Amino acid sequence: MNSTPTDTSDTRLEQLLKRSDIWRGNSRALVPQPTLDTGYTELNASLLNGGWPTRSLVEVCQRGLQQQEWLLFSPVLKAVKGYIVLLNPPALPFCQALIQADIDLERVIIVEVANKADFLASFVELARSESCEALLAWQQHQALSYTELRKCLLASNEGSGLCALLRPESAQQQSSPASLRLSTEITATAVQVNIFKQKGILQQHKSAPIALPLPTAWKGLLPYHLLDQAIPGHSDAAGKRKKLASISSIKRGK
Amino acid sequence: MNSARHYYRPGSRLWLALRFSHLPLEVCQLEDAANKPIVIIEKQRVIYLNKCAYAAGVRYGVDITTAQLLSQCETHPRDKQKEVTALNELSAQLYQFTPYIETYICQHVPQSGLLLEISTCLKLFSGVRALVAQIVHYLQSTAYTCEYGFAHSAKGAWLLSFQPTEITGDETKEIFCERLKNLPIQLLHDFPAVIDALKKTGFATLGDITRQIEAQKISSIKKRFGVAFTQTICDIFAIEQDLQQRSLFDKPLTVYQPLEVFSENIQFDYPISQSDQLHYPIEHLLQNLSQYLRKRQFACQHIEWQFSDIYHNQFLLPVHSDSEESHWQLLYDLTLIQLDNRELPFAVDSLTLTCRDASLVQHQSQTLAFDHSRKSRSGARSFAITMAKLKARLGDAAIYKLSYRDALLPETSQATIALHEAANQQLPDIHKKALRPTWLLPAPAIIEERKQGLYWRGPLTLVVGPERIRSSWWETPSARDYFIAQRHDHVRLWVFLDLHIKTWHVHGIFG
Repeated sequence: MNSTPTDTSDTRLEQLLKRSDIWRGNSRALVPQPTLDTGYTELNASLLNGGWPTRSLVEVCQRGLQQQEWLLFSPVLKAVKGYIVLLNPPALPFCQALIQADIDLERVIIVEVANKADFLASFVELARSESCEALLAWQQHQALSYTELRKCLLASNEGSGLCALLRPESAQQQSSPASLRLSTEITATAVQVNIFKQKGILQQHKSAPIALPLPTAWKGLLPYHLLDQAIPGHSDAAGKRKKLASISSIKRGK
Repeated sequence: MNSARHYYRPGSRLWLALRFSHLPLEVCQLEDAANKPIVIIEKQRVIYLNKCAYAAGVRYGVDITTAQLLSQCETHPRDKQKEVTALNELSAQLYQFTPYIETYICQHVPQSGLLLEISTCLKLFSGVRALVAQIVHYLQSTAYTCEYGFAHSAKGAWLLSFQPTEITGDETKEIFCERLKNLPIQLLHDFPAVIDALKKTGFATLGDITRQIEAQKISSIKKRFGVAFTQTICDIFAIEQDLQQRSLFDKPLTVYQPLEVFSENIQFDYPISQSDQLHYPIEHLLQNLSQYLRKRQFACQHIEWQFSDIYHNQFLLPVHSDSEESHWQLLYDLTLIQLDNRELPFAVDSLTLTCRDASLVQHQSQTLAFDHSRKSRSGARSFAITMAKLKARLGDAAIYKLSYRDALLPETSQATIALHEAANQQLPDIHKKALRPTWLLPAPAIIEERKQGLYWRGPLTLVVGPERIRSSWWETPSARDYFIAQRHDHVRLWVFLDLHIKTWHVHGIFG
């Protein structure tokens, strides 16, 4: 007689623990969630289940519109087969760069919104849609409240793709229900990704940022004052020739 | 009744032609049209004139200036669309008498009307005279004047409407043919060139042509005046050409399909002022519409909501979908989006849903793809629904794709296109390996030139370049040297030096 209620409560507890949205502290023994390969081994290793979580909200905090969001997401955008929706992008993507990156223009949809209400409504519609496999949304001027972020998260849970919300650097200080929160910063040679919240892993200590290397083609020439030391073992004459060539290319502009 | 049974053997056809000779004027719905000179013009020529204008000396075919000089008349352009609409409305009403209705519109003269086949309806309406009397009675209640013609063929009836004779119900095919033979050839309006040729040959009436056919073979007429004209003469007199049993090869009658409109109404017990309370009635009406559409294998793209209050104020809310729908869910969502964007102007007492433009589902096309799973098809459907909802909220212009355009200058090398258009992704080899930024600024931003160097939201250092890009020779001359510049915060920018005006600009950002 006494065993029946205990059994029921055990079953209920198991059912509860099977839910992905129950926080269980520093335990990785959770129900495996579907993910998408980020394209970067180090980043995969730092993320729970080894990739960008789908059906949940990823929040990227960045300074301005130049913190390499395309570098971060282009491997996954290239891999997904469904539609890629850019909601409220800060500028127009350059189609030549997208074609070079092997991203199919037929699947890239741009949605512009005028105000926060439209932004939220569009985010909810797109995140819920089965066909939208990657949603990149830029929140620009009006800050989103916790309730609004929660609405975005719930919509993301109903969908099946990657939902990333790109927010300004200041949003890092706010509380957010997003299941993965990270910030990006560009340095001379790499993009540093700092994961500061990940549902399922307790971020007790600030982990070292993950460095994603910049494309080599972007590095270009060395600064002018370093040109002499650029190629050790080369004659001075060769160094001067290179220096002069560099100056002339800049001086033409003056 | 007996006479009808006696004279009209089963299978023989009887046509009643209704010719609306004043239709161009009557569709204009002018006041006091009988007492002032009015002409209707088409291509600057008079194609219709009323009695006052005729009395003042205006004739058919004169130009508009002459007509105005002669009679100081009012001129109105011909509205063919209104005429067609009027004929469609009349057809819908005459459907109560016969299901076989054809519309006749002459291309050369402004004469149009309806042709009714009535042989199958005689029993129901107690004979020809009673039926015609009912049709006449109905037409007298409309705003249109009408002339009648009655014959054994459709074209014959149309021609006889120019010489109306009283309908007795005792007519036979021979009587019809005799009447037709007396008609002048000028009534064959569809063949103006043949009429001239016939006049020159000495033909004056249709009887002259039939006598020619009786004297010689029909092929002689065919040879001289063409196949189409000969066929028309045969149709007028119902002459059997080569076939032994022509009735087996009769042209089937056109069955009139009345325009179906879905319209349902809900009357509320008390006036509703909050739009939330309308959600359930809207859903109910849309479910009824969905049932109606699916029973008929129809789909619709456009519905209209009409909100009314107790003082008969009305508020119309059209809802348009991107794709044709027979299910109610998308139309429901689109309606709610439209309703959320505005406030109800009054307390709603009744709600009406109307759907006028439904089309057959079979007319839709879809890609036949064997390699795609069922899931991808449902994905495409879900995407179409999502986009339709977003368009209803944000407008068509807010949702677009990008396409490459073959041009040299970066700002002209891409275009925004609608979702249904195909994007061009054929990038020439010259651009394939060149460094291109991921963001393109809407317009190049000017870079400040300071003593220390270039400055745009921070000092810049050029790191890669230059790449010379010139405009095409037929465009405004433009030559630019593009560089990748690194800002103090390590952000890479795509900058250029305009070689004509010697200024630096930022054009893109490597993101």
